[in-house]
This record gives sequence, structure tokens and C-alpha cells, in this order.
Amino acid sequence: MTDLIPASKCPRCGRVVAPPIPFCPDHPAAMEPVSIDGYGEVVSFTTLHSPPAGFRSPLHLALVALDGGARLFCHGAETKGIRVGSRVAVEEVGQVYYFSHLGVLDRARLFWRRAGDRGETVAAIVKSAVKRVWRRGGDQDT
Amino acid sequence: MTEVWIAGAGMTRFGKRQESLPDLVAEAARAALGAAQLEAPEAIVVAAMNPEEFIGEGNFASQVATHMGYAHVPALRVETATSSGGAAVYVGFAAVAAGLHRSVLVVGGEKMTHLPTPRVSELIGRSIDPHERSYGATMPALAGLITRALIARTGVTLKEISQVAVKNHANGARNPYAHFQEPVSLDAVLESRVVADPLRLYHCCPISDGAAALVLTADPGSVRIAGIGQGTDTLAVRYRGSLVSFRATQEAARAAYRRAGFGPERVEVAEVHDAFAPFELIALEDLGLVPPGKAGRATLAGETALDGRLPINPSGGLKARGHPLAATGIAQIVEVFWQLMGEAGGRQVPARVGLAHSIGGLATNNWVTLLERVR
Ligand SMILES: [Zn+2]
Repeated sequence: MTDLIPASKCPRCGRVVAPPIPFCPDHPAAMEPVSIDGYGEVVSFTTLHSPPAGFRSPLHLALVALDGGARLFCHGAETKGIRVGSRVAVEEVGQVYYFSHLGVLDRARLFWRRAGDRGETVAAIVKSAVKRVWRRGGDQDT
Repeated sequence: MTEVWIAGAGMTRFGKRQESLPDLVAEAARAALGAAQLEAPEAIVVAAMNPEEFIGEGNFASQVATHMGYAHVPALRVETATSSGGAAVYVGFAAVAAGLHRSVLVVGGEKMTHLPTPRVSELIGRSIDPHERSYGATMPALAGLITRALIARTGVTLKEISQVAVKNHANGARNPYAHFQEPVSLDAVLESRVVADPLRLYHCCPISDGAAALVLTADPGSVRIAGIGQGTDTLAVRYRGSLVSFRATQEAARAAYRRAGFGPERVEVAEVHDAFAPFELIALEDLGLVPPGKAGRATLAGETALDGRLPINPSGGLKARGHPLAATGIAQIVEVFWQLMGEAGGRQVPARVGLAHSIGGLATNNWVTLLERVR
């Protein structure tokens, strides 16, 4: 299976946030731990050519709405082919979340996996593709 | 509740200033007190976002009061990030409205230009959620995300966004207090350096020094504070459902209109928080001044220009007047007051009701203030 992303859910309003937090931002209610799939849609993205100290330039930054409800800030190796609404996979590498584009083939595989296919090999392919992209990115920010 | 009036307003020229922050604050305060013909206020509310880091000074309300010869006057400091000036007006308003004081001096300022730009960005960026900051999110980065989402979701164009900067520079060219007093062309904005794709340098407000002040009083005058409201949202941008409108603005506006007993239809001039040009378009719709989806076209059509149906940022806004953080929320109200009094010189527009809108952080703590000229 793909990496699961640790998150929190508010028992009162159902809001899901990531990374996990102790209290709902809009209710003084203790959050419940949940895990959500690392797939989602790009809400927006930008590239910084003069990022803050400690970050490599250019810095590709995206806000991704995960299918499980939470929105997550992610780094990326590039934004080529990415648009608002693009389907992406999100994966944690070295305690930093990275997004990568899901191509037509990946999306089809994901669909069949979701449709009930055993799909473990497919998920592994998607995942290793993601990992390859990030490893190629080398050491990211500190 | 006691009606609250503006007795006097003053500000320094914004821009790169050599004077110390206490000197700038005193300059603005003396101008406002002079206009109000008041020797000493009963209380002082000071706005400064971060004097500890910007100039290495603390206990700033006492420092300012002592510096101006008001060590005996009760003084306190208020802070809500980049909207600290708006918050200070609220506290002064509340003190007069509650009958605690007959007159309150509200003064705010910031001194930033002596520091290198990356250091200033880092200090302002501390008002961003720590997790998002750990990903390299800065104010321009978040504004870049918002700009792209705005273009994708609402159909606003980069040209319409850029026209905000062109208009505000044109207004600033008529304002002797403005940081920038020269017009810029649409091409110059569109060709300026990319800061946070698709946001460009000329879409962003400058780093400025300056101070602004108001004298609030219970004694009836010409212009009253008809309404004032605060709106809030999550510190983390990722907790929000939308990037293309600000709940904090909508709620602040709702509270201000409710208190005033009238809505956006009576507003004839407004100063809005255009720290980034697209924020002016978002504000126009969140404040109900322009129908949803129409802000870009209205701007391009000249409706918000000085001679338009609804002049927005006649001062030049944050873009051209400049943005010395805690001074800004007060300077906006100073401008609206001058407009209503007919004292706005070469940028005067006809208006009896005006609005000021200030954003704190990435729209986590916003203020809307309504002024009305009644006599
Ligand atoms: Zn909740």
C-alpha cells in the first residue's frame, strides 16, 4: 500500500488536519488520530527564486488537498505539468512531504486499485516512481 | 455607549527615514494632537508590531509616552501583527465608547528600512504558522499561492491584478505622504521580477518607515467612527477551505456594518490592505463593495480609480503610500478622515462615508472601520 499520512480528526466538526495537532482550530475538542492516503489535488503552487535562508533555490511549494480531507504543504522537484487541480501523490522523505505528478497511467492504476484490484504491485510502482523523483532531487533544505 | 469622534489626524511621510521610531511616532502624534487642538490626551494606545526585533526596544508604550512628554498619561501597546494599527484604533474606540476616557491618542509606527530585506522578510514571516514556515513559506510565497488560486478559480487575470498596482501608484503620485510618488506603467508591473510565481515585484508593497496617529474623543465633531469590527481565521493557511477569500475580512466587515447600522452600499471611498495587489481584489468582494467575481473587471474599467464610481486606496494604498506595519492600519483611517473632511489635497474625492480595511498576518486578524461625516 501507499504511505499513509498521520493526521487528526475533530470529533465535533469532522475537520481533518495534517500533521496531527492536539485540538481542533475551531473547537476546544481533543482531536482523534487518523491516517489518510497520500493522494490528492493541487490547491495551488508557487516557485520561490529567493527562498528564505536554509532552502535551496528554486523552491517549489504546493498546497495539496488530500482525498482524506486534510490540506498539506509539500515541496516538489519541479512544477512542470502541474496545474491547479492536478492529481498528485504525496510522500514523506526525511520528515518532509513531497508532491509528484500522477500521470494518466498512474491515475488509471490508482483507479483500478481503488476499484478493488489487489493492486499492491501497482501501488509499489507508483511509490517507487515518487521515491525516484525525490532521491534524484538529492538532499533538500535543512 | 458613547459616540466616538475623530478630533484630529496626522502622519509622517512614509519611506526610508533617518529618524528613530520614537521620533517618527512623536512627529505623527504631535500632528494629530495639533489638529485636534489638544495639549494632552487622557490615555495613549501605541501600535508597534515588533520593535523588540526591528529596533531592539521593549516596553514601547512607556518609551513613547516618556519621549513625548506624556510619562504621566496611561499608555499601553497593542499588537495583531500587520494590522496592529487597526487593533489600536479598536482599543482607543472601546475606551472612549465605554466612558473610560474622554480623549485617547492612538499612534502606531514601525522602523524597518535599516535592516537587510531578508531579515525584514524573516521578521514579518514569523506571523506565519510555524509548520508552514518550516516549508519555506514566507508572506510573498503564501501570496503567490493565493494569486495562482485566484487566477485559476475566479478567472481574474494577471493584467487585472497588475492594474491595481498601476492605479495605486497613480494615486500615490498625488500624495505627499507616500513612499512612492511616481506612476508606473502596466508593462513595468508585468515585466518586473518574479518574486513568487505568478506574483511579481511590483505586485508587492515596499518596506517602509513611518508613523500615523489619530485623536479619538467623546466630544461631538464632524466625523464619527460609525462601526468597527474584528474578524479572525486560523493561523495555518492549510486549515482553511478557501484561498480566494478571507473569512477574517468577511467577519470584520459584518461586525462593522452591524454596528454602523448600514451596509457597503453607503461606502463612497475605501482604503484596503493591498500588501499584495491581488489582495485588493479579494478585499473588494469580501467587503461587499463589488459583486462576487467582478473586482478584476471593475478595476480594469477604472471604477476604483480616483475619478471612478468607488475610489479605492486614494492614498496609494500599501503599494505606493508604503507599509510601515503598525502605522498602516492607522494611516488608512487618517486618509479616510482627510477625505471625508475635504482635506485630501490633489487626491480629494467626494465622500461622506468611508471604510478602512487592515489585514493582520496572512489574514488571521483583520479589522474593518467605518467613518461617517455627519456635519
Ligand atoms: Zn472541530
